[in-house]
Amino acid sequence: MNASRIGKFYALNAQTGALKWKFATEGERRFEPKGLHGLQPKNQTIADPFDVFLSSPVVANGAVYFGSVDGNLYALDSATGDLRWKFKTGHVVHASPALADGVLFFGSWDSYFYAVDATTGKEKWRFHAGEDALIHNQVGFQSSPAVTNGVVYTGCRDANLYALDAATGKEKWRFFNDLSWVITSPAVADRKVFFATSDSSLYHVVDATTGKPVVRQQGKAYMFSSPAIAGDVVFIGVLNGTLEARDTKTGELLWDFQVETSKQNKGWVLTADRKFNTPFLYHSSWCEAPLVANDQQIRIGGIFSSPLVVNGVVYFGSTDGFLYALE
Amino acid sequence: MVIDLAEENGVWVGSIIIPGLDVKGAPLTDIAVRPPEVSFAVKGALGVRLKLLLDANSRMTGDFEQAGNRALTTLNKTGPPQVERPPRNTAVARELEGEWKGDYEMLGYTRQVSIKFTNRGLEGAAAEFVIVGRKHNNLPVDLVTQEGDLVVVDSHEIGISFEGRLRNGKLTGAIRQGANETPLVLERTKQQ
Repeated sequence: MNASRIGKFYALNAQTGALKWKFATEGERRFEPKGLHGLQPKNQTIADPFDVFLSSPVVANGAVYFGSVDGNLYALDSATGDLRWKFKTGHVVHASPALADGVLFFGSWDSYFYAVDATTGKEKWRFHAGEDALIHNQVGFQSSPAVTNGVVYTGCRDANLYALDAATGKEKWRFFNDLSWVITSPAVADRKVFFATSDSSLYHVVDATTGKPVVRQQGKAYMFSSPAIAGDVVFIGVLNGTLEARDTKTGELLWDFQVETSKQNKGWVLTADRKFNTPFLYHSSWCEAPLVANDQQIRIGGIFSSPLVVNGVVYFGSTDGFLYALE
Repeated sequence: MVIDLAEENGVWVGSIIIPGLDVKGAPLTDIAVRPPEVSFAVKGALGVRLKLLLDANSRMTGDFEQAGNRALTTLNKTGPPQVERPPRNTAVARELEGEWKGDYEMLGYTRQVSIKFTNRGLEGAAAEFVIVGRKHNNLPVDLVTQEGDLVVVDSHEIGISFEGRLRNGKLTGAIRQGANETPLVLERTKQQ
């Protein structure tokens, strides 16, 4: 089952790929406010080039749950595609929901994080994160939550990683990242939370109970990919076209794999040491130049996809159009 | 790419045009001419440097370097130098001299701006340009001009400029960083 950029949700036969049913939402587009990120002209809506993910479905108890740009979280009958209920938020829902103990947890671009009863669609609580009415840069959830031991962990574009009480929505702690978005969905293991940031390109491990830092490593480029943990190794994709394998305890880089498009580095999108070549990309004062630069960054072979580790093989996708499998 | 190099009174000066990078008439710095070796850098945040070898056919070949990236470059001599002179500071009106303050909001928090104008005789005016956000940033100022009521203060190296009009005792305009532009009104601080 999958959502699409044309606003339809499809259920396909897993063996044959044949269409079983489809469901139309109220449409699909990107987060698109006026004057996004301070870009000109301010009275014109601008689609966010970094609104790159669609909500992935959760399937449980005969239902499928997913978010939509129309602001709804949908619950459909997984066998027929019939609507069971929909829950309206104030803006785009592109973060994937997490289901735990009959409750769905998810964030919206309206600056709220919600807990909704999976059976009835009734709100249990909501948590208000940061807002940015002026340029809409520091607002909204793209990160999908992790729920464990009664605590919900989620990143936010207001630059915080939040730990919320799953029963009440009360904040337990927050980890602030100096204006850098937390797009990655946190991974939780051994009472630690693993995540990474965008602009500051930092890889973090914090204590799951207190939020105190345990490991901090400087990466080379933005990280949107969610970390995957397998044994003593954490895998994470980087937007410079590199998949990194790091030691779970120290965060030290064990090895990395750079895709061919990134190695070619056409247009010098990257510096020689694989950082984004910011002065080169953002040299122009032309109004649309930042969007062109964003497009160049995304085309370098960036790894937005979250790695999947099965039987000693790590799988991930890249914007170069390839799916990779590494030993 | 067009490069103009000239020796004036024993000192090498130069300017460069790189259309694809929006560079027009940027001054060259660190010019070293020891034939056949010629090297220079481009002033500004791009960090461009050229290291070339001059041959007998008035052609220079070598590396165009930026951020550790390197490309082979060949320059052919096409004519006499036309070095572009950087714009010069002008004097500012007496009513503009002194310190002006204002603030703007970006990325969810307020940044305070202070510009202090001082006339320096034949050198034109100078300005101290300070932005305080999470850090205290004292910006290097390349250019201060006043034409009528239009006042420009530019930190080319950092890529931040203020442009405003002096009207009714206020400097009303915008602060620009790259393609981002935010309204900013500066008011004179009270005289000590």
